[in-house]
Amino acid sequence: MKPKIAVFSLTSCEGCSLAILELENQLLDILGAVEIVNFREAMTERDCDIDIGFVDGAVSTPTDVEEIKEMREHCKALVAIGACACQGGINSLKNHQNEDDYRSYVYGDGAKHFPTIKAQPISAFVEVEYELPGCPMVKEEFLALVKAVLSGQQWALPQTSVCVECKKQGNLCLYEKGIICLGPVTLAGCGAICPTFGSKCEGCRGLASDEALQAASINLREQYDIPLENILADLRFYGAYQEKSLP
Amino acid sequence: MTTLENPQLNQPSSIYVPEPAEIIKMAKLTEMEMHYELRLADGRPLGQDPGQFVQVSLLGVGECPISLCSSPTRPETFELCIRRVGKVTECLHRLSEGDTIGIRGPLGHGFDVNEMHGKDILIVAGGLGIAPARSLIQYILDERERFGRFFLLYGGRTPQELLFKDDVVRWRENPDVDFHVTVDQPDSGWRGKSGVVTTLFRELPKLDPNETLAVIIGPPIMFKFVVLEILSRRIPQTSIYCSLERQMKCGVGKCGHCQVNNIYVCQEGPVFKYAQLKALRESVE
Amino acid sequence: MLDRIVEKNELLELVDELSRERTIIGPVPREEHYFYEAVKNVRELDLGFNYCVYSPKAFLFPPTETLFRFEAQDGSFGATPVLEDRPQAFVGVHPCDINAIRLLDRAFSRDHADEHYLSRRGATFIIGIDCPKACIEGVFCVDMKSNNAEEGFDIMCYPLEDDGKGQVVYGVMFGTKAGREWILYHQAGRAPSVKDERDFKQYQRQKEQAFPRSIPYDVDTLPDLLERSYDSLLWEATARRCYSCGSCNLSCPTCYCFDVYDELDMTLTSGERKREWDGCQLPGFALVAGDHNFRGKAASRLRHRIYRKGKWVREREGISGCVGCARCDRACTAKISSIEIYNQLAEEV
Repeated sequence: MKPKIAVFSLTSCEGCSLAILELENQLLDILGAVEIVNFREAMTERDCDIDIGFVDGAVSTPTDVEEIKEMREHCKALVAIGACACQGGINSLKNHQNEDDYRSYVYGDGAKHFPTIKAQPISAFVEVEYELPGCPMVKEEFLALVKAVLSGQQWALPQTSVCVECKKQGNLCLYEKGIICLGPVTLAGCGAICPTFGSKCEGCRGLASDEALQAASINLREQYDIPLENILADLRFYGAYQEKSLP
Repeated sequence: MTTLENPQLNQPSSIYVPEPAEIIKMAKLTEMEMHYELRLADGRPLGQDPGQFVQVSLLGVGECPISLCSSPTRPETFELCIRRVGKVTECLHRLSEGDTIGIRGPLGHGFDVNEMHGKDILIVAGGLGIAPARSLIQYILDERERFGRFFLLYGGRTPQELLFKDDVVRWRENPDVDFHVTVDQPDSGWRGKSGVVTTLFRELPKLDPNETLAVIIGPPIMFKFVVLEILSRRIPQTSIYCSLERQMKCGVGKCGHCQVNNIYVCQEGPVFKYAQLKALRESVE
Repeated sequence: MLDRIVEKNELLELVDELSRERTIIGPVPREEHYFYEAVKNVRELDLGFNYCVYSPKAFLFPPTETLFRFEAQDGSFGATPVLEDRPQAFVGVHPCDINAIRLLDRAFSRDHADEHYLSRRGATFIIGIDCPKACIEGVFCVDMKSNNAEEGFDIMCYPLEDDGKGQVVYGVMFGTKAGREWILYHQAGRAPSVKDERDFKQYQRQKEQAFPRSIPYDVDTLPDLLERSYDSLLWEATARRCYSCGSCNLSCPTCYCFDVYDELDMTLTSGERKREWDGCQLPGFALVAGDHNFRGKAASRLRHRIYRKGKWVREREGISGCVGCARCDRACTAKISSIEIYNQLAEEV
């Protein structure tokens, strides 16, 4: 019997789920190796457990909390995909605003029908075996993880920063053009896709290490004359949930 | 048109391609360590020196460096003791007898057994260090008449974690070796000595500083204390061997991972004289 | 002594012809900088380039390459090495990068010859272009004695006359038999005259004045200086700014460390063993099984890099580990500068 894989979305744009479909060339190979099941349908059959469950989106509503717990019970391995599921992502920007303000801004008069909680990564509620960060997640990492799990191997994210991949691409460093890029503090794995196409890294994969962050707090102030608030604002875009760890 | 000699490419070859070896026997030593007896697929002996290592491959998983724990005096097979600590070793533990793995080697520099001939030998092994030490222990026992007195001290953390328990029993009874074993944390069933490995030095007779070669293999923390014991017996630094552990990725002096200062452990080592090592900062820190 | 006098246009015609049998790789302008790139047409090359952001190392030792393909199904065990030997030519390599290639040649051929590097290298023809002056501010090739290349090229072109509008007369020196045959077979240029030799001497004299020095001591004393600086506070102080991003390693023409990993096909029964560039500044570089890290602190990693470049490689290979191209300094967004470190150590000790 082929291993069962399911994909499920919490509060998100579902772009990470879509990224799986973008694996056009490998999609048939994947379907040959696994069975992709509808999570809702799979859950109704009691004895049907899921081998790998992929979840995108942050936990941002009371319903999300229930759903992620239910998902956890049915999955042998649970994988958070994308910045929202791994770090809270853009959703957690609201954590730093007044709740009444943002709810009435988004839902207008109907705000009272839409309860929300602080946006959090799924690891704040359930145990997670693997995380595939990024906005969206990196489909090559998804593929590598699926292969590792199917062949019974350990799998781990890189521990280096985006600069490594940017240099391997042979890019001109954006700092040479006077652009402040978050590559040096951001976890690698994306192939430095943004700098390769001329956009600065915005840190969607989360921090490479605390040491890198410490270095940033010195360098950006001392070498580039950038106020601490600006650095925080940039890092907050994807990493608002983790803010307590910022210097 | 070249500025460099073009290697013979008619038969494409690569120093990174492993050769197949069959698992003849597999035995669980502890919860963490598995003992493998292997034979190269083409049947020829591996031809290692005691103290050398091989790169062990599982195609599709990766490669890792493992010390040889058997002596070239027993050439029909070669043996490895593998601790489950990472991706490759975890998959290695799941194999069965009859399976094929990849081997590159023997690699690096082992013990200079010619220099050891005629000398008294003192081996001090801690933890997993008994595995590389065993290749030398077997060699000495098999070529016993070529060596002087032979002392072997082995320290483990707990009785359960002692490796090669069958050998331990045999060594205890073998008149050819003055063997002592201790554990840091004894349990109720342990009848032997307890304490760190340096406490075993009291069991030794007087050593002859000019005729003794010492070998230290074990974790960095053990190394410092043992080397002090040996030096305090006026054994010269050039008469002390040690083996370093590093994560070799290539095993052939290129990839840089095992570098300690200007030394590539996989090339110049893993066996060094203490006289060489003491100038190498970071070697056991 | 010069071997030949060749004008730039004629050299480019020869390169054009060479492009029929070799991939031509040379300096191409992009984003107000130059990069070594494979070109279809020699007119894309700009041999008057000042410096290239990266050395041509990637064409000899690519960022990622396959070492072998394997099949591992039902106990079978098959591995086929993958070697690349398509003919290529580097056109316009400066002395710093030629000296760096010499070091790579030595490192990859000593002890166990690395067929993957050597097959690419063996298929590479190198046309050097000498630098009459320091290419940009901040380079310290002269301090590292790397602003001249004695070997490591097939031909070396010295721009004896340059009208600044593209007309250049090169004094050409042959480095190999292949280089000699290439020029002479095509009967390119002319034999050097007495005046050409005089111009060449004049060129070399002017060159000596055109490279400002950056360190106040002879680089031959650098290993001793480093020997005495192991416990300096400078490492820790400087490393606090270090991101451990490895940009210095990855942009260095003499760094050749790598990591090895397996990539499975979706069938899970076949795949490739690959290697990719690694760097001693990356946090996990000296990690061993069981999670002990022999260089867990950025300070010890920084010291390792500077020692390696300034001392250990030289002691091991007999060639400087640093060619003074300053690419590490430019690549560092924390503005950690090796030349600044070399200077600070001299002040300190």
